[in-house]
Amino acid sequence: MKNNNRAPLPGFLGGLEPLSRRGFLRTSVLAGAAFTTGCSSLFGRREAPETLEYHSLNDDEVEVITRLTEVMIPADRYGLPSSTDVVPTIKNVDAMAQRMPPQTRELLGLGIWVFNNRPMVSFKFSRFTRLPDDKALAYVDAMQEGSFFERGLMTTLKALVALNYWRDERTWPGLEYHGPVTELWGVRRLGNAPLPRA
Amino acid sequence: MAFVRVARDGVPVTQAKDVALDASLGKRFTLKTDVVVVGSGAAGAMVAYEMAKAGRDVLVLESGRYYPSSAFTEHLGDTMTKIYQDQVGQVNTTADIIFVQGACVGGSTVIGACVMEEPGDDVLDGWAAKYGLDNLSAEKFRPYLDTVADQLQIHINEAHEINACAHKVIQGCEKMQFSWKPAQRNVKQCALTGHCLAGCPSDRKMSSLVTHLPWAAAHGARIFSDTEVVKVRTRNGRASGVEARVTDPDSGAHVADMQVDADLVVLAAGAIHSPLIMQRSEIADRSGQLGRNLSIQPFTQVMGKFKEPLYGFRGALVGVQVDEFTRTDGYTIFSGLAEPESLMAQGDMKAGKAHIDFMKDYKYYAGVNAFSTDLGRGYVQWDGDAYTGGKTIHWNPNREEFENMKASAALAARIFFSGGAEKVFMPTFQSLEVDSVFSLDEKLAQVDYGIKGMYTFRSNSFSPHGTCRMGADSYDSVVAPNGEVHGTAGLFVADASLIPEPMSAPPQWTVQALAKYVSDQINAKASSYFIG
Repeated sequence: MKNNNRAPLPGFLGGLEPLSRRGFLRTSVLAGAAFTTGCSSLFGRREAPETLEYHSLNDDEVEVITRLTEVMIPADRYGLPSSTDVVPTIKNVDAMAQRMPPQTRELLGLGIWVFNNRPMVSFKFSRFTRLPDDKALAYVDAMQEGSFFERGLMTTLKALVALNYWRDERTWPGLEYHGPVTELWGVRRLGNAPLPRA
Repeated sequence: MAFVRVARDGVPVTQAKDVALDASLGKRFTLKTDVVVVGSGAAGAMVAYEMAKAGRDVLVLESGRYYPSSAFTEHLGDTMTKIYQDQVGQVNTTADIIFVQGACVGGSTVIGACVMEEPGDDVLDGWAAKYGLDNLSAEKFRPYLDTVADQLQIHINEAHEINACAHKVIQGCEKMQFSWKPAQRNVKQCALTGHCLAGCPSDRKMSSLVTHLPWAAAHGARIFSDTEVVKVRTRNGRASGVEARVTDPDSGAHVADMQVDADLVVLAAGAIHSPLIMQRSEIADRSGQLGRNLSIQPFTQVMGKFKEPLYGFRGALVGVQVDEFTRTDGYTIFSGLAEPESLMAQGDMKAGKAHIDFMKDYKYYAGVNAFSTDLGRGYVQWDGDAYTGGKTIHWNPNREEFENMKASAALAARIFFSGGAEKVFMPTFQSLEVDSVFSLDEKLAQVDYGIKGMYTFRSNSFSPHGTCRMGADSYDSVVAPNGEVHGTAGLFVADASLIPEPMSAPPQWTVQALAKYVSDQINAKASSYFIG
């Protein structure tokens, strides 16, 4: 059945689209998410750091995005500002999520959940957040080389994390990128163009 | 005639916060005007200027915010969240193609890369012959293009406007014996900052924000931002004004409802939103073509890595274009490497050490945008109620268009290898980097069309057009040769929607010339359109 009121997804969330187009998957995954959330509370899931400071991402989402950020951008190991302790990557993602339309935000949550819980035999059906560093990185690489749905989802989550790290100007010196220059160079503002001659 | 003075800086704009503070307006108010122009980008600004200059009372309604150039920060990430349509989130229904569009006073002219190109005489003569558009023949349309060129200071890039990134493209073309030329841009005394996509803070980009809008305001036009037109109002089959809502751009809070009574309505909201407004308004569409024939000029970002540091992001953003295949195959390749944030549009960025290495190599990269023409098979559709429904953009490549995208990207890769690249990153959702030109075909063969070409090439569109095509036959086109909608008197369209079939040139120049042409058509028959 056609969904007439579905809001378009932001470009960087493109990989979530297949989820929105599969009602059965959507329903089962949401039900699964609710079940998992309940179970994790029962079993004393580890609280994400600074949980209360996030306005849109829930604890589980913070945990997944934090882990993905650690795995994808191990910046401090390579002389760059830490992607978790210096640059507020996860808070930037949270701020972006806060501005999303409700349906887009719901799909983001679904995508994060699927990414974390997608069963893979080669990873012994473990959640992404419970994988050790080498396995977690291998999982990300495997998703990127997967089916069109998997690579779409992986590209989306990578873009979300990377955009919200590299947009911070403290990361730019490491790239030898100059950043804003107009003021630095003393470039004069020209103002409005004069009226064309008749 | 009174002396007309243009403001030194900025545009006088009534914003949502002004409406909220004006107790005399209240939550619902009505404005009267001769002409209401919907949209303030390339087309809307031109129409506003031409109509105001002719002495008409003009009201411009822009759905985006007013973001003056004095406030530009040269931070692309921040700019995207403020003045790009849907925070760069305007996508097709399968969400794998991004429709990049400005959502601010001045529209896409504010965030564009300044590339200007004429449609070509053969294209114009083809439109004239095929669609009964005699006034768009090359001979008759040339004066409009020339006027726009003068007003926007369009020039061919000079030597200092061709940066290291562009030079790698030139080297590659010279070896391949491909034709290339310096790009044409609408920039005055370019400061070579490379920040075009975040807006030009020193007003050198001749966007509508510093040209036709302040000129229109100098002639008395009123401009409202944060004001989205929901419907065109009609009475007895004639347009009589619009309904709009004013929204706070930061909080999203509804501020007021506006009604405009006007003798004439001119839609200039772009090829996506103009047809949607007409669909919401249930404007009669005898042709069945309203919202259809969407052509998107898909482009992908291909990057080459070179041995030596290029700092390809320094200097003018777009330096040269490869025009060898423009007329024969519809492929055009423009040099350009933007801010680090723009690498997110490239394709796979890898993870772990590989991601860090990929980003740290930024200074070694040259980039191009590889355009291909499509067949104009897409469409836009408004679903649901005018106030609560939503838009959908339908475009996925068929096999021919998919192969065109692949061929265009492959050409870009060959140019980079010929220019000395040691590696080329292909614009695909799957991780695809090529180390040698000899393995290019084999690697590209891995990109399979799959299901509707979804999640294959990471494509973008900056130039949608064709959704209200112009033509003499009311059973085959939406808009008449004078710009007036077939069957709805007093309702005009003046933007990229009018372009009757897919074109390969970037359309801004054509669009602004069309907007001036439509304005002239209105002014030529002013006595029949305006009361008094």
